[in-house]
Amino acid sequence: METLIKDNSFISSLDWQKKGSLVPVYNKNVFTIDTGGNHENCIVILHGYLSSSYDYYKVLPELSKNYRVIVQDLIGFGFSDKPENKYFTMIDQTDYVLELWNLLGLNNVTLISNGFGNLLTTEILARQNHTATNIQIKKIFFCNGDIPINHYNYLDIHNTFKDVDSEKMISMLTSFGIYKKIIKDYFYDETKITDEELKEKWIQLENNNGRDIINFIYHCVRERKIFWNRWATALKETENSIELIWGKEDKITYDWLGISKEDKITTYKVSLIEKSGHLPMLETPQEWLQCVLKK
Amino acid sequence: MTAENWKSRGKFFSILNKNIFVIDEGKSKDVLVILHGYPTSSFDYEKVLPELSNRYRVVIHDHLGFGFSDKPDSYTYSLIDQADFALQLWHKMGLKEVTILSHDYGTSVAKEILARKNHNLIPIKIKKIYLCNSSMRLEHLHLRNMAQLLKDKKVGRFIARLTSNGYRKIRKRLKIDNLNPEVHSQYDIKEVWNNLNSDEGKKEIHLLSNFINERYTFWHRWTEALKASEIPIKIVWEKSDPVAIKEIAIVLATENINENLEWIENSRHYSILDSPKYWINLVFKINDSKPF
Repeated sequence: METLIKDNSFISSLDWQKKGSLVPVYNKNVFTIDTGGNHENCIVILHGYLSSSYDYYKVLPELSKNYRVIVQDLIGFGFSDKPENKYFTMIDQTDYVLELWNLLGLNNVTLISNGFGNLLTTEILARQNHTATNIQIKKIFFCNGDIPINHYNYLDIHNTFKDVDSEKMISMLTSFGIYKKIIKDYFYDETKITDEELKEKWIQLENNNGRDIINFIYHCVRERKIFWNRWATALKETENSIELIWGKEDKITYDWLGISKEDKITTYKVSLIEKSGHLPMLETPQEWLQCVLKK
Repeated sequence: MTAENWKSRGKFFSILNKNIFVIDEGKSKDVLVILHGYPTSSFDYEKVLPELSNRYRVVIHDHLGFGFSDKPDSYTYSLIDQADFALQLWHKMGLKEVTILSHDYGTSVAKEILARKNHNLIPIKIKKIYLCNSSMRLEHLHLRNMAQLLKDKKVGRFIARLTSNGYRKIRKRLKIDNLNPEVHSQYDIKEVWNNLNSDEGKKEIHLLSNFINERYTFWHRWTEALKASEIPIKIVWEKSDPVAIKEIAIVLATENINENLEWIENSRHYSILDSPKYWINLVFKINDSKPF
C-alpha cells in the first residue's frame, strides 16, 4: 500500500470538474463523479459543510479500483446548483441524495461521510427505520464530524456550535486569507495541505456565489437542534453496520468519542488514525484507505 | 361526549412501536384523513364528524404526544417525525388514496407530506389538501400566548408545570376572547386540558412546542411545496391570523401563482367548535343551497 498516492496526484478544480457531470435531480443539477463502473459493489460519499467532493480527490483513484464510487457535491456546494437565496434544509438535501441514488440505480451501498455529511447519513437511517425509504445500506463509515449520539451534554454542544463554530464559519468566508488560516487548523500537520489545494477549494467554494450560503448558517444550527433526537434515535435503532474512521488529532470537531463512553457508539469499531486531523482522507490518505479497504 | 366516550369510539394502532389513537368512521370509499391542530387532539372534530362521515370515510389520529396517543419518551419529536408517523399509519390501514384536512400544526405536517409527494418519495395518492389556519379560538389563543411562552427554553419548562393555573388561564381567556357564549360551555376545556395533562403530557408541551422553530426553518421547503404542487389545495384563512397572511403574501409575491391553490377567506370566523355547520359549508361546500 506504500505507493498508493504519488506526490504529484494534485488535480485542479477544472480537471476535477471534467471528471464528473451534472445530473438533473428534481429541479437542480447535482455535480456527480461516477467512476469504477465495472465493479458491482458501490461506495457513495457525502462531504462536509462549506466543502465539496474535492476533499476526496486523493483517495478516489484507489477506491475506484475496488468499487464503483459515486461522489457528489451537495446542493449549494462545489459545482452543484445553489439554493437561490433560500435555506435548503438537511431534509431537502437528503431527498436529493436519495433521488440521485435512485436515478443512478444504486442500492445496497457502502456509505462514507464526514462532517455535515454524517447528519445526512443519520437522516437516511431515520427514514430507513421509519420505512420512509427502501434503500439498503451495506455498511457505514463515519469520518470526523458530528455524530448525533444521545443527548448527554445536548445543550452545551449546541450552544458551543452556535457561538464558536458558526462564527468561525462566517469569518472563514470573509476572505481567502482567513479561510486559509482556518482550514490549515483542520490539519494536524498543516504542511499536508498545500496553498495550491487551498486555492482550489476556495475556487469551488466561491463558485456561483457559493459564499451566500453562509446567510443561512443559523438555520442550519437550528435544524441540528430540531432533529438531534430524531437522529440520535435513528442511530440507536438502526441495524446497519457502522464503523468510525477518525483522525485522532481533530482540533475542530467536538470530542464525540470522549463524551460517548457509555453510549452505543463505543460498540462501533473505531479506526483511529494517528497524526491526522479533521480531514483524514486529505491529510493521511493512505492510512484512511487502509481503514476502508481492509479485508 | 366526554373524553372517555371519545376514546371508546376509536382504536389504537401500533406505529413504529408507539400507540397511535385513531378514529375511523364512515363507509364511503372516499377517504378523508385529518391532521389536527396544536395543542389539542382528534376530539376537536367531534362536532363535524357526523356530517363529514356522511360524505367520507373519516380517519383522524392523535399526533404522537397528543390526545390518547403515546407521549414521546425523550426529547423532541419533530414535524418531520409526525409526517413519518401519519404516513406509516395510513399505509398500515391500507389507504391508497386520500383527501387531507389539516388545521394549524397539522398544516405543517400536511405540507411536509406534500413536499415528499412532490419529490416522488411516497406512493400514497392525494386527491386534495385542505389547509385551515387558526380557525379555532383556542388554538389562536395558544399560539399567541402559551406557545410564545413555551417556546422560550427556560420559561417553557416551568410554564408547563403550572397545571391548574394554566387551565384556569385558558378558561378565563376563552371567556374574554370568545364572542359566542356557548363555546366554553359546550367545548369541554377541562377535557382537553386533562388530555394534555395526562401521562407526561405536561412535560411534553414544552418539547412539542418546538414546532414554531421548525416552521421557520422549513419555510422555504414548504412554500416551495405549495408552489410546485400538482394536487389541488384549498387554503382557508382568517384575516386576523398574522401567520397566514405572511404566508399568503409570500406565495402571491412569487411570479408563478400555482393554479392549484385556492384561497378562501374565513371572514366570519367559522370554526369547527362554535359553528361547525357553517364551517363545513364554507370549507367543503356541502349543502350550499340550503344554509342552516
